[in-house]
Amino acid sequence: MAFERDLLALLPRLRRFAMSLSRDAADGDDLCQASIERALKSRDQWQAGTRLDSWMYRIMRNLWIDEVRARTRRSQTFVAEDAGLAVGNDGDRQTEMAVEIGNVGRAMEKLPDEQREVIALVLVEGFAYREAAEILDIPIGTLTSRLCRGREALIVHLGEAA
Amino acid sequence: MTIDPETLMAYADGELDAVSAKRVEKAITAQPELAAQVAAHRALRATLADHFAPVVEAPLPDRLTALLDDRVVPFQPAPRKATVFQVRNLAAMAAALVMGLLLGQVVSLGGSATVGTRQGALVAQGDLAKTLDMQLASTQPADAATRIGLTFRDREGHVCRSFESPALSGIACRAEDIWRLKRTIDGDAREMQAYRQAGSAEIIEAAQNMMAGAPMDAEAERKARQAGW
Repeated sequence: MAFERDLLALLPRLRRFAMSLSRDAADGDDLCQASIERALKSRDQWQAGTRLDSWMYRIMRNLWIDEVRARTRRSQTFVAEDAGLAVGNDGDRQTEMAVEIGNVGRAMEKLPDEQREVIALVLVEGFAYREAAEILDIPIGTLTSRLCRGREALIVHLGEAA
Repeated sequence: MTIDPETLMAYADGELDAVSAKRVEKAITAQPELAAQVAAHRALRATLADHFAPVVEAPLPDRLTALLDDRVVPFQPAPRKATVFQVRNLAAMAAALVMGLLLGQVVSLGGSATVGTRQGALVAQGDLAKTLDMQLASTQPADAATRIGLTFRDREGHVCRSFESPALSGIACRAEDIWRLKRTIDGDAREMQAYRQAGSAEIIEAAQNMMAGAPMDAEAERKARQAGW
């Protein structure tokens, strides 16, 4: 099946995007799995000849937003502080993939979600501005301003402006 | 000349048109600090790429690849969720097998030996080779001595066919103009009606483990024969 094969070929990149959105290996793979399942279920909505990668990134990003909203609701119901404490500090889960959180990871964590996803699409995944704006369904001016602010923050955190 | 931060960033990313890029370049020669900012943008891109590179290079977890692999259909592990692929494959196989099994009665094979060896491997010969060469599951006579069940391609791309006869059942795959016997089930086991199901199930299972994609339908089987398997 060409569709499955193409998705399989995209999988390493999709994992990377999932990882930059969720900042956690296990969450990233959960997100990947949910995205693949969604894609297989909605395969009729993908138009042959259009870019499968953009379509998949859009699915993944929208699922992630749903997840974030659900988590926000949960944390508001329970302990609001919980989310902040848990981030990047879950030793068990981090061992699942050989990616150190490191300075880059910590700097990415400090970004607001809306800047992080733009950074991930353009600087990590290598999409052009227009492509990234289409995936996120935002005007290109919004994209460039988020990208610029996110980037300046990262450069400051990582000390590369020095 | 002032260059706003977003334009400078777009320049660093190669997103500007030629005219705007020229304008930025002119400004950079006048203001060296702009060049440093461009370098910082590009360095950041490289840093992020390096940081996430291990994710792309890491082996993919089975739970993700399994969702997308329609060739390797897990059959053995007992409690399993039936995927769309499995259901479709099983239905096609069941149809082909029923056709193969139900047509005709059991008639003994011709006299000559149907199995030989070639370079240490079991191969079909005589009547069995002829049957594998010529007989189509869709048109095989009701009283065929050996019935063809499934025809499919294995993962190396070889055409394989399952066959059943009173003396011997199994799966043969075509390579270098020879039908090599990949699985065989002794005829003795088939003499008792109770074992017939077990034998068929064994062949289905073996075929499923070998199969790349779905089994051939009547049309594909005919074309494969035309092409000399």
